Amino acid sequence: MSLSLRSVTYRYAGSSRRVLRSLDLNIERGEVLGVVGANDAGKSTLCLVAAGLAPTTIGGRLDGEVAIDGAPSAGARPHELAQRCGVLFQNPVTQLSGTTATVWEEIAFGPRNLGLALEAIVERVAWALSLLDIDVLAPRDPARLSGGQAQLVALASVLALRPAYLVLDEPTSQLDPQGTQLAGEAFARLTRSGEVGILLVEHKTDLLERLANRVAVLAEGELVAVGPAAGVLADERLEAWGVDPPARVRLARAAERAGVQLPVSAA
Amino acid sequence: MDWLSRQFSTRVLSLMVVAIAINIVIGYTVQTVLKLPIYLDSIGTILVGVLAGPIAGLVTGAASNLIWQYAPGIGGGTIGPFAITAAVIGVLAGIWGYLGVYRSRPATGARLWAAAIIGVVVILFLASRIYNNPAYTDPNVGGYPAWVFTAIVVIAIVASVSVAGFILVRRDAAGAWVAVAGALTGIVAAIVSAPIAAYVFGGVTGSGTDVIVAALRQGGQDVYNASLGQGLFSDPIDKTITSFVVFIVLTSLSPRVVARFPLGERIVTDSEG
Amino acid sequence: MSETGGVPEIVPEFVLPPPTGAYRRLNPTTKLLIALAEALIAFGVRGWSGPVVVLAIVLASGARAGVGARLVPFLLATIPLVASILLVNTFLYPGATDRIFVLGPLAPTWTGLVFAGQATLRVIAFAMSAAVLGLTTGPDELVADLERRGMGRRTAFVLSATVRSVPRVLERVREITEAQRARGLDTEGRIWRRVRGLVPLAGPLLFGALTDVEEQTMALEARGFSAPARRAVIRTFPDSTPQRALRLLLAAGTPLVLLVSVIGMLGFLP
Repeated sequence: MSLSLRSVTYRYAGSSRRVLRSLDLNIERGEVLGVVGANDAGKSTLCLVAAGLAPTTIGGRLDGEVAIDGAPSAGARPHELAQRCGVLFQNPVTQLSGTTATVWEEIAFGPRNLGLALEAIVERVAWALSLLDIDVLAPRDPARLSGGQAQLVALASVLALRPAYLVLDEPTSQLDPQGTQLAGEAFARLTRSGEVGILLVEHKTDLLERLANRVAVLAEGELVAVGPAAGVLADERLEAWGVDPPARVRLARAAERAGVQLPVSAA
Repeated sequence: MDWLSRQFSTRVLSLMVVAIAINIVIGYTVQTVLKLPIYLDSIGTILVGVLAGPIAGLVTGAASNLIWQYAPGIGGGTIGPFAITAAVIGVLAGIWGYLGVYRSRPATGARLWAAAIIGVVVILFLASRIYNNPAYTDPNVGGYPAWVFTAIVVIAIVASVSVAGFILVRRDAAGAWVAVAGALTGIVAAIVSAPIAAYVFGGVTGSGTDVIVAALRQGGQDVYNASLGQGLFSDPIDKTITSFVVFIVLTSLSPRVVARFPLGERIVTDSEG
Repeated sequence: MSETGGVPEIVPEFVLPPPTGAYRRLNPTTKLLIALAEALIAFGVRGWSGPVVVLAIVLASGARAGVGARLVPFLLATIPLVASILLVNTFLYPGATDRIFVLGPLAPTWTGLVFAGQATLRVIAFAMSAAVLGLTTGPDELVADLERRGMGRRTAFVLSATVRSVPRVLERVREITEAQRARGLDTEGRIWRRVRGLVPLAGPLLFGALTDVEEQTMALEARGFSAPARRAVIRTFPDSTPQRALRLLLAAGTPLVLLVSVIGMLGFLP
């Protein structure tokens, strides 16, 4: 059971540049795969391709295969893809439907679109709210939430479609530290359930160090490294690929250069 | 109504929402808060028409005015019945979109100068039509008062210099086409609006442009022709400015994004992006 | 279709139930049709009778709904237009010769005054009608009820997303304008200053909104917006046989009244 990309190459519509080049990647259920890379390395494009939005919604040309639990994404309709793989973007505001008066109705928007009966909708909304521990937000106006809260509501809205995989495109980049903390805890809670596989694009490597099982590095559309999080995040070449190593790794390196012995727990 | 919205993609629907909000908010701010003597309430309509075709433009224009009329807090006024004009503006914009009027046309040398000259000639021609129109100059029918003629001359000169400058500075011959499309849209809008203003609102709209209506009436024009005269004065100016705003917005958006709209490929030129 | 309307018990209580109280508790679609009929008759039936009848009905329903006092700002908002209509037509009505008095260049005419009076009444009747609809009917309620009656989700989305986004965008504009004022930019003074104030105001609005369109599109697709099924109804609104009859009457009667008025058969009315 996995979301798999097999020698995936992608070009945007009207462009001959290959934004992703012969990519092979696997995301298992219950794991968090972190993705890092410089700006323009193709991280956002990877998210769109993995979720099936490229080419289904935005066009372009995809060579290779994206499959979710064995079912190829090519040819699937957007609402079918939405139930296999959810996707969360940077800006919490644009992800809300902008048509609802309460958070409860906002989260119900997706299940309603699928044509579910009211009982099933109510059950899914309650499930998504409690999974992220945001039941208190249910009666609030979605337009009057903090950035962190809005991002959690957006995440709950996607989860309510019960996807087996989630693609998160820098979900904390527009959040303050408190919002990042909230979102991080929510992602951790999700993976503990073991049912959801997460592809997390994130430049905050400290967050990845805590959350990710494995980390992949993208550079100019190519996968240059993939492996267990601790190993990849401590890789000497990380800075050359345009990625800031986590604070712990930088500290360890600085200590080594200075000849200071750090306690084992910090290193 | 459903068959109508079903033929638009989700992307076009999202654009319509934004466009209607832009029409209402910028229109309201310009007319009521800043109290400027132009409308600027069709930027969104023209944008949707150009990117998504005549029917999408029609819906955006009509919906803007109707929602504006009933919007809490800023509603009221005269805007609702002019939904017909707004719809026509949207259809025209869709036609300009099909014709590729808003496509960037980088040019140099002789072709660039030719475009600049065409732009200036079109504006001076339009101005001269208003200036010399016998309906307004014939002493027996009465005419515009002297200050209106002065205003036409001043505005025509400013507009010609702006359009020529726009074309030459940006090295883009599209400016001439944009000016022509804007002016034509304005003339059609005036012709459609005049009977609405005359029939529904007694010929006035409660804005600064009523001064022109009053002046034309003073000169002996009937209710309809006074409204038409005012429209032919205000609308081409307003729609030409709007057209250039839309052109600037389109050229500064990423071609990758523009190309995803139904008429996007008629606007985007180079394909390296 | 329930006679009472409401929200099913399994839905949390903060999802608002239908409004109560006189006039307000009418079905949203009924209120919409009343407003449309009022607008068409106020503008469509010439002479005094159309606007007078509509104004009377509008004021009666406004009073019944208890929104009388809240209509005042809407009435005040028509002042610039009404003043313009009265001045331009009373003093400058083309071809009118029945002068009320002559004072220097001023020569108001009875014809112009009557024309202006009728136009004024039409504008006020229409403004009040729109205000009563706005004050008694939430846009969400209207969209929800229309969707239950079969309007598609795509139309429902455009309507409710627009109505909700306008106040938000206006608020943003107000913030920008205030920030400009704080930096000394003038939004009240001479015309060129106001024009200059427009660019920093409209620019971010246009570019910001358009870059959002792409993300919003993908977010909608990621929430199953394009699925073909019909959506479950969460809120239902009361309806009744008399209301259904009234709607039928309005839908059939309004065009008839307009037609009769246009072919001049109502000539006997004042």
